[in-house]
Amino acid sequence: MWSKTITVCATCPVKSINEAILQAEEGDTVFVKKGIYKEANIKINKSIALIGENLPTIDGEKKGEIITIGTDNVTLDGFKIINVGVSYTTDYAAVRVVNSEGFVIKNLELEKLFFGIYLQKSNNGKVLNNKVRGEAVTEFNSGNAIHLWYCKNVEVRGNDVQRVRDGIYLEFSDEISIKDNFSKNNVRYGLHFMFSNNNYVINNVFETNGAGIALMFSKFMEVENNIIKKNWGTAAYGLLLKEVNDANIKNNLFFENTVGITVEGSNRLQYANNDFTSNGYAIKVKGACYENHVIDNNFLYNSFDISYNGRINNNKFNNNYWSNYTGYDLDKNGIGDVAYRPVKLFSYIVNRTPETIILMRSLFIDIIDFSEKVSPVFTPDDLMDENPRMKQIAHDRN
Amino acid sequence: MKIIQLLVILVLFTACTVKPQPINYGSDVCHYCNMTIVDKQHASQMVTAKGKAFKYDAIECMVHSLQDEFKDTEMAHQLVADFYQPGELINATEASYLVSEQLQSPMGANLSAFKNTENGQKALEEFSGKIYTWKEIQEYLKL
Repeated sequence: MWSKTITVCATCPVKSINEAILQAEEGDTVFVKKGIYKEANIKINKSIALIGENLPTIDGEKKGEIITIGTDNVTLDGFKIINVGVSYTTDYAAVRVVNSEGFVIKNLELEKLFFGIYLQKSNNGKVLNNKVRGEAVTEFNSGNAIHLWYCKNVEVRGNDVQRVRDGIYLEFSDEISIKDNFSKNNVRYGLHFMFSNNNYVINNVFETNGAGIALMFSKFMEVENNIIKKNWGTAAYGLLLKEVNDANIKNNLFFENTVGITVEGSNRLQYANNDFTSNGYAIKVKGACYENHVIDNNFLYNSFDISYNGRINNNKFNNNYWSNYTGYDLDKNGIGDVAYRPVKLFSYIVNRTPETIILMRSLFIDIIDFSEKVSPVFTPDDLMDENPRMKQIAHDRN
Repeated sequence: MKIIQLLVILVLFTACTVKPQPINYGSDVCHYCNMTIVDKQHASQMVTAKGKAFKYDAIECMVHSLQDEFKDTEMAHQLVADFYQPGELINATEASYLVSEQLQSPMGANLSAFKNTENGQKALEEFSGKIYTWKEIQEYLKL
């Protein structure tokens, strides 16, 4: 191989990144030393590696897009990129990858941005260990930190995204693995799927977002080992499922969300080994849901465990631990002898007339809930956990 | 005392007027798809004749909601965001609609609205796609 390295710095023969890329040939490495480079519209159309030493800064001066990658096998590593242009009609990004394969984008720090990393019809790449800090607080003209549009087989791992619109957004993207990311304080969602299938969401933390995860119109998802917490507010959910089929939701922790999971029009989902702790509602089922199984979960200290609209529709609740369960276990097999009915009459009333929430924890409500528990009239007769556990399940959550 | 009575009456009456409500971007939720409304260029709203307001994150959501659950409900207002004036809600029945690959809308229909046919035409030249009227777009989005 005849590949060479071009070094860029203020005192080097080559002073600008654009110039270095112009000089570079396929397979070369452009090595950028520490400093501030005021450049925008950097176009990479050769398979090169662009590597920053000690985090050099590329300042786009709000002139639009900063780096556009338009060819296969490009590596981008170790830059701080600031001042992306904001526009209503064009989605300017700090880094955009267009119709390319084999890209690696890592160790970037993005600030003052509109869109962060925008992957467009690009496959088989990696987005690793990037840090994105947006400024979306009251302004909703913000973009998403990591945005995938028509992508396939991309690894999104170890990124830290905060204060943007959606932390990670996928639209029409399949076979994406989202691992070990941290997504916090985003205006809309920590993670957002639209029309995306066969994706893995493992070991992430979603904290204080408008809502934790929104899975919409998608199929075949694995959502495992995530921590979803403190999504509070009128439109806040831990996990929003809308028209999702064949998903596994396992081993997650839902902690202090207004609603742990809101689900509508979703079929064949497995909810297993999750902890629902101190949420307003643990699970809110809104209708058109069939063949869902809620098994081996802990429901701990939620104001309402389950809210249910309509009929039971062969959805199953089995073998869960419910902290509100007051039954007994005479045969000492660890399973309560009386079935547990997770839907309270009061949650029905609140669904109909939200203002009645003010009566929560009043004696009157306790009385009507108790009488409903003794002889159900309003709540679905067959919605119950026939084998409620007596002891909390110790989930392995390393 | 009089003033308080007057105020009470005033409050009672203002509560009853049929008018659109402001959309709180980032905290209001779409009535149809449950998404948080953030996109000022694609939000929409309907107000029934009785004054209940329903907000949507995308125009396609409003149209689907209309076909789905409000088939027989009389609407006082049907409003959509004007693409060129984000945050501004305009009359849906008079607006011009553009479906363009270049303009992504929140729920995947690539649908944006414009104040009048003139603006719609301008956008068509800029972004390409196809122009629809309010009637046609309902046919186009039929469930």
